[in-house]
Amino acid sequence: MKHWWNWRKRSDELEKEIQHHLQMAETERIERGASQNEAQAGARREFGNVGLVKELARDAWGWRWLEDLYEDLRFGMRTLRKSPGFTATAILTLALGIGANTVIFSFISAALLRAIPVRDAKHLVLLRWKARTQPNAGFGQFGDCEPNLENGVTSSEQIMTSDCSFSVPFFREIQKGTDTFASLAAFAGTSPLVLSGTGAARAVRMPRYVTGEYFETLGIRPALGRLINHEDDAASAPATVVLNFRYWRSEFGGSADIVGRTILLNRVPFTVVGVAEKQFDSLTPGRPIDLWIPLAIAPRIEAFWSNQNLDPSYWWLVVVGRLKPGEPAGVAAAQLSTLFQNEMSHGAYGVEGRPMLKPEDGGAIELEPLGQGLTGSRTELSRPLFMMMLAVGIVLLIACANVAGLMLARAAFRQKEMALRFALGASKGRILRQLLTESLMLSCAGGAIGMLFAGWRLQSIVDFLWASQHGNLPFTPGIDARALFFTGAVTIIAGILFGLTPALRGLRVDLTPALKEGTGSSAPAWRAKRGWFSAANSLVVLQLALSIVALAGAGLLVRTLENLKSVDPGFDPKNVLTFSLDTHPLGYTRAGSDNLFRELQKRLEKTPGVSAVSYSWMPLLAGGMNKLGYPMPGKPKNELAVVDVMPVGPEFFHTMRIPLHAGRDFNAADFATAQKIGAARIAAALKSEGTAANAGPAEELPPTPAIVNETMVRRYLLPGNPLGQIFGAQEGDTAVGIGKSSGFQVTGVVADAKFARVRDAVDPTVYVPITSGDAAFSVRTKADPMKLVPGVRAMVNQMDSNLPVTKILTETDQIDRLIFNERLVARVSGVFGALALLLACIGLYGLISYEVARRTQEIGIRTALGAERSDVLRLVLIQGMRLALAGAAIGLLLALALTRYAKDMLFGVKAADPLTFVGVIVLLLGVTLLASFVPARRAMRVDPVVALRYE
Amino acid sequence: MPYQNRMELLQGTLDLLILQTLMWGPRHGYGIAQAIRANSGELLQVDAGSLYPALHRLEKKKWIGAEWKVSENKQDVKVYKLTAAGRKRLTQERTRWEQITDAIAGVLNPAKKENQP
Repeated sequence: MKHWWNWRKRSDELEKEIQHHLQMAETERIERGASQNEAQAGARREFGNVGLVKELARDAWGWRWLEDLYEDLRFGMRTLRKSPGFTATAILTLALGIGANTVIFSFISAALLRAIPVRDAKHLVLLRWKARTQPNAGFGQFGDCEPNLENGVTSSEQIMTSDCSFSVPFFREIQKGTDTFASLAAFAGTSPLVLSGTGAARAVRMPRYVTGEYFETLGIRPALGRLINHEDDAASAPATVVLNFRYWRSEFGGSADIVGRTILLNRVPFTVVGVAEKQFDSLTPGRPIDLWIPLAIAPRIEAFWSNQNLDPSYWWLVVVGRLKPGEPAGVAAAQLSTLFQNEMSHGAYGVEGRPMLKPEDGGAIELEPLGQGLTGSRTELSRPLFMMMLAVGIVLLIACANVAGLMLARAAFRQKEMALRFALGASKGRILRQLLTESLMLSCAGGAIGMLFAGWRLQSIVDFLWASQHGNLPFTPGIDARALFFTGAVTIIAGILFGLTPALRGLRVDLTPALKEGTGSSAPAWRAKRGWFSAANSLVVLQLALSIVALAGAGLLVRTLENLKSVDPGFDPKNVLTFSLDTHPLGYTRAGSDNLFRELQKRLEKTPGVSAVSYSWMPLLAGGMNKLGYPMPGKPKNELAVVDVMPVGPEFFHTMRIPLHAGRDFNAADFATAQKIGAARIAAALKSEGTAANAGPAEELPPTPAIVNETMVRRYLLPGNPLGQIFGAQEGDTAVGIGKSSGFQVTGVVADAKFARVRDAVDPTVYVPITSGDAAFSVRTKADPMKLVPGVRAMVNQMDSNLPVTKILTETDQIDRLIFNERLVARVSGVFGALALLLACIGLYGLISYEVARRTQEIGIRTALGAERSDVLRLVLIQGMRLALAGAAIGLLLALALTRYAKDMLFGVKAADPLTFVGVIVLLLGVTLLASFVPARRAMRVDPVVALRYE
Repeated sequence: MPYQNRMELLQGTLDLLILQTLMWGPRHGYGIAQAIRANSGELLQVDAGSLYPALHRLEKKKWIGAEWKVSENKQDVKVYKLTAAGRKRLTQERTRWEQITDAIAGVLNPAKKENQP
């Protein structure tokens, strides 16, 4: 800016200087006797070309390139303003392409690329153990890192199992036993807690237990109050809790007096000591934490943690450490590995007295940078995000090809201008620079508009994409610095890309014919112009081909979605409300929760608008898996039948409308039996804890009543009448920790119904009477299920005001959530496929229009010589269709090659599905026909007289 | 150090003339052209297209300085003067010029050299 200001001043001064010179020269001549006019003219003549002198003088200032740039910009603005149609189309097209890219990139940036919100992340590491076989321990996983728990096959294969979970005693060991870390901390997830004591009882979905060094190790600071420290993490310390900033805002209204307040978690009083800083929303991507509790306090909330905290065979802590500066990770890892091997082989014992890992299993610990190790939601989101990036990439390419085509077409008409400039002495470089400046101006304008639009509408786009999902998006996309940088880069690259093509062609101009001719009727100029248009032709063909690819992909994905939606789930999901209740945190007995559920079911049945009520372990098609293996009669003992097991309450099949094919539904006696068996098993387990001797209950228990589906009957049961058959009985095997069991007895057979996921085929399913303290209710209503929600809440509140009602949604929504990925991808690819087609057609339309304008003279001649209007129409349409067919052919080949890679996203439709491809091609041809029609009509109406005079 | 190329020769010569002219006192652009014309006996007429670029170049190199003054007829005039660095440069240019002329004289009158004792 200063330069510009200076430049203006200097420029004015130079002008004054020159004027003064001229005046002096004039005066001198007058003194010598010339007249006023003669003097003036003479002085001017002697001086020479004022403009040239000025330019030469200015050259000396050294700002030539800046001046040139300014000139280019002004000239560019003028040219662009002269053809507003072209400018508007180009800018809008680019805005669309660039804007879409910005949006998707900001998603990717927020979801996949974000840095973990800790201090000095490069010294932080995540601990992972690895071994050749799965250790003999129990694992708790909360989706923080990517486990690899498939059992390693052979030792020669070097297949390693690995995971990031450790036991509490081992963690304490490594804290004491290594000196390479500045500090070590651990955290673990847990099942949801119940928050009460402030307003209605709510579920805390994402609590975390942390050790005292957690916040210090990560370098987190409090926004209010203080954070958990060493003193808090002791079994005898007062119960403290730290809230997440966002959680504090949403659940506690961000009230300033939160520090020191008492809240109840699972009916245990906790003091809130502080709120974490705002940017520390979650450590693991996609797992935003609600609150943090010291690990030592865990047993107070859920009693079984007191054993878990001492059990070396329960691995459920995620351990992170901050290396001492200068300490190489290799040394630390080696130290830890030694400790690990010792502990595993000599130290504690795993299940039923066997060591957790044998020395030859090659147990070791490795350290991963924290950002890489904690993958969280990255794994489940990367696929759809990648596909979206591809889609918008294609759209941007089409947009660039579009604008390049427009520029090429325009360049054909600017030949005269180019020739003139060459004649006046412009260098090739200068002209190239000027053309490039023009195209960069277009792309910057488009980029700015696209970015503004993206930023403005980002939230609504997020809503559109994330509709009906559970909770908020696990990351917050925003137009941050990285997205701006990316957009800027894309803009510049796009501008250069489509600017270069016509620019490079613009330099090969044959001067004389260009200067002489108008729109060209002489042969050489004609041929030169043909050159322009075949490049433009190939651009349009490219665009059409790309849009075929986009449309084909979209078509396949949309059909996949339709197929998934229309799968018969084997039950009636319409008008069913589901919600979950969990009595575990509140310390109910089995009988107590049984009574609660039974009572609730009865009350709901009597409610007007309800046709049936039942409950089960999870709602159907909620993605929950429960596969167990049982020995079957008539088959060898180690050949287990792998079945899905679903505990259900009374009237389940009637409520879900799963037809009963044989036998009967569970009755009161069945539930009582199941309860008895369950209670006896727990008693036995508590007795046999730690000892290897006692393996089963004292008395002989009856088999658990079970209802099986048709697939179970067909695959595993013995031939003949399935009713009354007993399976799954086992003697018990202390070596692997299985108690004796009387198995199951079939009391009924039902039709096949989907269990966990729509895509999976129906597996053999065993339904048993539910005995646990948490259940999901399914309520079939006569009208809109959501209308029942307040009534349900009131009812539950009445029965126990501390029991929160969670996961309230209709069964159809539940299923929708399951296929969220497919819905998202179908939606996005549909939008972008349509966009791609639209852009390609605009490109085609533009090209045909220019062709028509160019050939106006020719058309006039033809008409004058006797051609019919319909002939002219046909001429133009054929040209359009030729391009369309070429594009379709290339697009078809490309699409066939590419859709193969999306094979595993598809369902019910092949990657080379003929129907989809044919449909897409027909669509393209139809739309391009339309796009060619408008300029064709214009060609028809050409008046030969006007055309012949047209220059 | 002789001139590197033709352009530098021309520019260098003009620079020499301008600097020398300013040695005798500050002048404006037109005045410098006048002085050169007068002192060369109307032989060297510097055209504006060479003069002004040269002046601005010399100003950028800080061998001459410029000031805006008001003339008798109330007009703004840009007056140039020689700077200390310019004076040094002038000496250098004069030396170079003498070297060149000696060199040319050597070529034109080789006999003279042979007669040197």
